Amino acid sequence: MKKTSKHKDFKVPKDYFNSFTSKLFNKIAEEETISIPKNNSFKTPEDYFTNLDSSILKKIADVEKTKVIPLKSYKKYYYAAIGIAACVLLLVKFNLNKSTTITFDAVTNSEIETYFDINDVGLTSYEIAEVIPVHELDMNDILSKNLKEENILDYLDNNMEDYEELNLQYNEY
Amino acid sequence: MFNEDNLVQQLKTKETQAKAFEVLINTYKERLYWHVRRIVLNHNDADDVLQNTFIKIYRNIDKFKGDSKLYSWMYRIATNESLTFLKVKSKKLGINSEELQIKIAHNLQADIYFEGDEIQLKLQKAIATLPEKQKLVFNMKYFNEMKYEEISEVLETSVGALKASYHIAAKKIETYLKTN
Repeated sequence: MKKTSKHKDFKVPKDYFNSFTSKLFNKIAEEETISIPKNNSFKTPEDYFTNLDSSILKKIADVEKTKVIPLKSYKKYYYAAIGIAACVLLLVKFNLNKSTTITFDAVTNSEIETYFDINDVGLTSYEIAEVIPVHELDMNDILSKNLKEENILDYLDNNMEDYEELNLQYNEY
Repeated sequence: MFNEDNLVQQLKTKETQAKAFEVLINTYKERLYWHVRRIVLNHNDADDVLQNTFIKIYRNIDKFKGDSKLYSWMYRIATNESLTFLKVKSKKLGINSEELQIKIAHNLQADIYFEGDEIQLKLQKAIATLPEKQKLVFNMKYFNEMKYEEISEVLETSVGALKASYHIAAKKIETYLKTN
C-alpha cells in the first residue's frame, strides 16, 4: 500500500503498526478473562475441623439418648379413631349400595296416577290402545264410579231419539 | 483411599458402624463444610447445618440403596439441609430466601469469619443475586472445583444444562462486578 504524504508532520514509534495487531489481541484476551477472585475469604474458628468429629459424634449421641418417648402414647388413639372412621364409612357405603327391589304390587294406584300426572308419558291414544287389552276390559274398569244398568237406560231414553228404531226387546237392553 | 462400597457396608453393620462413621466424617467434613458454607455464608449457620447433615446421614444410612455414589447422596442431603435452613430462617424474618441471602451477603463485612477485600465482598453480593440453581452450580464448579459429572449427580441435572447455568452465572457476575 502506498504511503500517503498527508501525515508527514506526525511521527509514530518504530514498528508501531507492525506490533499493533498482536498488542490489540492481547488486550482483548485480557478483557475477556473472567476477573472473578477465587481465593477463599471465608474463615473458620481455629481448630474447628480438628474438633468437628468429636462434636458431631457427641451431638449424635445426645440426640439418640434424648429421643423423646411420650408418657402417653397417642398412637393407639389415632389407630382407634381411624378404625371407627373406617367402620362408619363402610356402613354408609353398604347402606347406600343396598338396593330394595320394588315390585309393581308395592306401588299404590295413587302413586302411579301421580306419576302420570306429573310426567309427560308422551304416548298417543293408539299407542295406549295397543298396550291396554281393550277387549278384556269392562266399562267399570275404566270408570271411577260404577254405573248402574237402569241409569244407563234412563240416559239413553232421554238422549237418543232413534233409540226406538233399535227394536230391542227389553231383555236385550 | 478407602473403598466406598466397603464403607457403606460397614456403616450398615451394627458392630462396625461407629468406626466407619468416624471415617466418613473425617473424609467428608471439610468438603461438605465448604459446600454448606458457600450456601449459608455464615460460619455458625454452616456448623449447625453440617452437624444436622451428618445426623441425617447417620440415621438414614440404611435407606441408602447405592443407586448413586455415597458422596453425591451426602452432598444432596447437605444441599437440602442448607436450603431448608435458609427457608426457615427467612420465614422467621418475614422475608423470602433470596432476600435473606442478599441481606447476609451485604452484612459479610461485619462477619468476623470473613476476611475478603472489597472485590471479594462485591463477588459475594453478585452471587447472592443469582437464582438458586445458578448459585449452586457456580459455587460447586468455581470454588469447590467439582466436575460437571459430579455436580450432575448431586443436583440431578444434565451436564449440558449445568454448563449453560454456569456460563450464564459467570456472565451475570462479570456484569455485576463491572457495573457496581
